[in-house]
Amino acid sequence: MIPLLILSPLILLAALGAVWKARPVHAALLLALSLALVAVLYLTIGADFIGLVQFMVYVGAVAILIVFSLLITRPSDEAEEIQRRPRSMVTGLICTLPVLAVLLIALVKGDPLTLPAADAPPLSIARLGELLFTTHAPAVLAVGVLLTAVMIGAALFARDIEKPKSNQPEK
Amino acid sequence: MIFATVPFPSFTLESLPQLPKLLVEWLLTLVGAPDWLVIIGGTAAMAGTVVGVFLSAFALLSLVERKTLARIQNRLGPNRAGWFGILQPVADGIKMLTKEDIVPTKAEWLLHLAAPILIVVPSILALGVMPLGREWVPVNMELGLLFFFSVGALTELSVFMAGWASGSKFPMLGAMRAISQMVSYELPLIISALGVIMVTGSLRLSDIVAHQEGFNFGIIPNWNLFTPWGFAAGLIFYIASIAEANRCPFDLPEGESEIVAGHMTEYSGFKYALFFMGEYLGLFAIAGLGVTLFLGGWQAPLPFLGWVPTWIWFFAKLAVIIMSYLWIRGTFPRVRIDQLMRFAWLCLIPMALLTIPAAALWVFTGKGIVSWVVTVPLLMIPWVILTILFNRRLAPATRTYTFADS
Repeated sequence: MIPLLILSPLILLAALGAVWKARPVHAALLLALSLALVAVLYLTIGADFIGLVQFMVYVGAVAILIVFSLLITRPSDEAEEIQRRPRSMVTGLICTLPVLAVLLIALVKGDPLTLPAADAPPLSIARLGELLFTTHAPAVLAVGVLLTAVMIGAALFARDIEKPKSNQPEK
Repeated sequence: MIFATVPFPSFTLESLPQLPKLLVEWLLTLVGAPDWLVIIGGTAAMAGTVVGVFLSAFALLSLVERKTLARIQNRLGPNRAGWFGILQPVADGIKMLTKEDIVPTKAEWLLHLAAPILIVVPSILALGVMPLGREWVPVNMELGLLFFFSVGALTELSVFMAGWASGSKFPMLGAMRAISQMVSYELPLIISALGVIMVTGSLRLSDIVAHQEGFNFGIIPNWNLFTPWGFAAGLIFYIASIAEANRCPFDLPEGESEIVAGHMTEYSGFKYALFFMGEYLGLFAIAGLGVTLFLGGWQAPLPFLGWVPTWIWFFAKLAVIIMSYLWIRGTFPRVRIDQLMRFAWLCLIPMALLTIPAAALWVFTGKGIVSWVVTVPLLMIPWVILTILFNRRLAPATRTYTFADS
């Protein structure tokens, strides 16, 4: 309970900072910080595998992807700040309110979680792998197909940009 | 207060690295400290031992590297401070500590400060899960290998922070190069480690070492390197580890002749030393992981050498790997960025992916003669095809020097 009380305000603060910071790189780094803190939260409640994978995927891959795309798409980032418009507020609310609603409904109406007994043995990594590749195999395969499709799409995008260029500099 | 006489626990040469921990625990018990303090003190002493050993190794390597490179390049190398330059690391340290710490006006001071710290932390954390000897495993995690790669992910972000927070062009270019290189070479690095996990059936690094115990035909060690899939995976891991450690010939992120020092350009004094330290500790960590995964960790290389303390074997193997890095650095020229990327994505990653089915077949066919007959062609034929393709069709186009040739 104590780690949750310490970590959750920090996570929320980092997340709020990620939304409110005017410079995109600051926002991206704060997002990475909040994701890393979530990983720490997982570690404190004994979900070691999820915590480490969260750190590896979100801090190692997603955050890097975000900052890298920021650098590539806007090379002159120097002191550039995001323009805040009322319209972006509205679109943001349209995107996030349904998610919030679903979470709240699940919180209120869903079955309360039954915690395992305190002396129950922790889930071993071998057992977790077994579950993932037997009971939950369809979900794993579906995610795999989705990621492959995304990767092929990205490769196609990259290909289109490369084609029409001619490398002859003017003389 | 009554001082209870606590007998000092017995130790052998094998558990010599445990000595600081035992000493601290013994002292704390002697003065009647509570149990939690004894545990914390012992853990801190053990962590201190690991950090101390690797920092001394870093100091030694910084001298050995300069001496070796000098020998390869027909120079003398550092020879002024002490006997054969033995005090050179100390002189370097004093120089770095007393230099002015400059923060550029356009830099973001907080990120600029955090980057060198965050680059040292993951390397030390990664060294903590390494089995350095039979009885010297600082933290024996069940998910050791996953932990190693997870904390390694922080390096890329801190390189980005260093490059971006410096607020100038060279660090930014260097950071972009570094990140694209690290991301590309992390894939073959992790994929080539998967075969080992499949064969061992565990992510615990000490289990991986224990699995490589024993000798075939009484003389050939039962290391993963001496299996067909392990040889391929080990080779890929070796190449990718050079790139991950930003060593020559993959030292584009800090190519001195091109972009000053890459993401470290705007750093001076002790912050620069921290980058240097993080780089070398990362080198130890990645080479140590290679030793653990493919070279049998702390296992003795010959059956009759079992009496030598196991941690000596670990560090001996580490030294051999690192000397080979130095040799490569002194021999090969730096590659171009397009060559670097092509090599990772078109050659290393497909070959690394092939080691996974090869490792699976190796297990299912019983690790005998049949497995050799099945896995060797599985790896050799694609490798030959890939080499021919890579040399003929996929090789980078010859550069045309537009202005010089016309």
